Amino acid sequence: MAQAAEQFDAPSFPKQGAIWKPLPKGKQGKQQAAHTVQTIRATPDQVFNLYTRIEFLPAWMEGVVSVQRLSPKKLRWLMQDPGTGKQFEFDAEEVESVPGKRYVSRVTTGPTAGTTNTLTLEAHPSGRGTVATLINVFTLPGGLFTKAVTSVVSRSPAQITIENLRHLKEVLEAGEIPSVEGQPAGRRGISGKLKQVLYGENMPMPPGTSDRARPDDLPESASKGPSKWGVLLGSAVAVAVLGSLLFVETKSDPSGESLHD
Amino acid sequence: MKAVCWMGAGKVEIQTVEDPKIINPGDAVIRVTRTAICGSDLHLFDGYIPTMESGDILGHEFMGVVEEVGTAVKKLKRGDRVVIPFTIACGSCFFCKTDLWSLCDNSNPNARICETMYGYSGSALFGYSHIYGGFAGGQAQYVRVPFADVGPIKIESDIPDEKVLFLSDIYPTGYQAAENAQIKPGDTVAVFGCGPVGLFAIASAYMFGAEKVIAIDRFPERLKLAREYCGATTIDYTAGNPSIVEALRDLSNGIGPDSIIDAVGMEAHGTDAAAFYDKIDQALMLETDRPTVLRQAIQAVRKGGTLSIPGVYGGDLDKLNFGAAFGKGITMKMGQTNMHKYLAPLLKSIEDGKIDPSFMISHRVGIEDVPDMYKIWRDKKDRVTKIVIDPFREKGIDRLRA
Repeated sequence: MAQAAEQFDAPSFPKQGAIWKPLPKGKQGKQQAAHTVQTIRATPDQVFNLYTRIEFLPAWMEGVVSVQRLSPKKLRWLMQDPGTGKQFEFDAEEVESVPGKRYVSRVTTGPTAGTTNTLTLEAHPSGRGTVATLINVFTLPGGLFTKAVTSVVSRSPAQITIENLRHLKEVLEAGEIPSVEGQPAGRRGISGKLKQVLYGENMPMPPGTSDRARPDDLPESASKGPSKWGVLLGSAVAVAVLGSLLFVETKSDPSGESLHD
Repeated sequence: MKAVCWMGAGKVEIQTVEDPKIINPGDAVIRVTRTAICGSDLHLFDGYIPTMESGDILGHEFMGVVEEVGTAVKKLKRGDRVVIPFTIACGSCFFCKTDLWSLCDNSNPNARICETMYGYSGSALFGYSHIYGGFAGGQAQYVRVPFADVGPIKIESDIPDEKVLFLSDIYPTGYQAAENAQIKPGDTVAVFGCGPVGLFAIASAYMFGAEKVIAIDRFPERLKLAREYCGATTIDYTAGNPSIVEALRDLSNGIGPDSIIDAVGMEAHGTDAAAFYDKIDQALMLETDRPTVLRQAIQAVRKGGTLSIPGVYGGDLDKLNFGAAFGKGITMKMGQTNMHKYLAPLLKSIEDGKIDPSFMISHRVGIEDVPDMYKIWRDKKDRVTKIVIDPFREKGIDRLRA
């Protein structure tokens, strides 16, 4: 015990602590806030770069069909509700973009105008990579009723936020998004199919680096018209590029070496 | 292909389903040469693990030959002979990098379900419910294996399949149980349950330097293997209705075993009032698991001892004597097996001839026999100790210890 006491290097007190400040969550007027925090085994720059490459968004973000840049700070999004298959478009503006640190965007048109997305990145204090905090404040067009329906049929706003940052982490760390879509199974029957809906397994998984972004694999409503075929083929190409980019980036970036050994 | 499908509690069928294909670039497709029924598959069969869906392909102990690989796979090629660990791990996340492979962050497509039930999600598993990802299992002629450069271990020698098959789960699981038991040379260790994991835990306890291993079960064929292959002192808890706590105290010089391994889990049996209580409680859905063995283990372990739990628990436990655990200052270690950590050293132990894991195989069957074998093993008939399956053989039951 005496020896242990000699080796014991106690920190000095008093030591200033802090008061926990909760991150945004829940309903605030006509808006619904949601947040998620992940530690990603990559550098802040790697996380920022993938998050802001709009051509890769359909590969990892749920429900994104395509994103086009209309002007330096203006983007046009084509989304598809994974539960209902309904497509909708809106414009968004980049409010703030600080490489490796912070990215804020806001929806400017359509029923969800006013929705904001804020990604904040910090190096993990113990060197485990990047602490990524994603805060989404949604403007819900249908109010509480929509929220109730989407929480059963589709993803709830809170769950969309969680799943999107999870998929970003999966692509950056593992090089792919885990999926069982298209695997064999025996007869599901009524109970099996009901459970799939109950567990949210009817939601299509973003393709990640797989070849599931092929037009044939996408819902019929998304592949009508020559312009959309172009967009979708573009997505497939983007996925292929993303795959190669991930492997190149992780091997060539000296600052990321300890994170991708 | 033919596959073993879960079709509801107590119902398993052989169905013809589509062949698996590459889904992600890190995948491989394996032609299965040997697979097995695990004791934990019986929890699925009995309907005690939530989130199974009709049509799920069962099986998480399997090996075979690589048929096809995805574009990102570098270490495997068509024709390689491999054993597949039952936990699916990405190899890149914080947990994989710290040898906590069974807690991988990036392999479970249904992580949200697990997070709702458990707070955080562990890794995905083959053929083991949708909380753990809903991946099709290996009791089939072919199986898709994600992260093929990370999990599968190549078998380069011509050692027979049945000697290395159990690297897929039960040998590493028994070994991790002994490691988690924090055994020191000269220790006394007790193992509840002499099923396959219990038998490997007994053998592994000796590998960690145990002086004496005591094994508890009720089936003569299992106790015989524990005594005659693994070197345990055996207790039949149904013979004369002994007090297990007293028997273990007497066999450990009056202080209790230094470590106890619960290789039974959620469907424990017993002969005392607590076991009867658990049966009623579980039937009334007042608890999901029967912690009969866990209570006895907490009671029997020595002060400051270690309780290692490889037996599967799934949900809520009732009337657990946590005060005894606290009062004696015991350590508990548990969880799914960090498979990838153990594959290479344990393969070496087999290739060096230290242990022949096939010692426990009692039945080798064709795929059409599998539904019957689930029932036979669940009902503890025909002196089953371990069932292996040749998925390309239609029918025929070889009893290896007739």
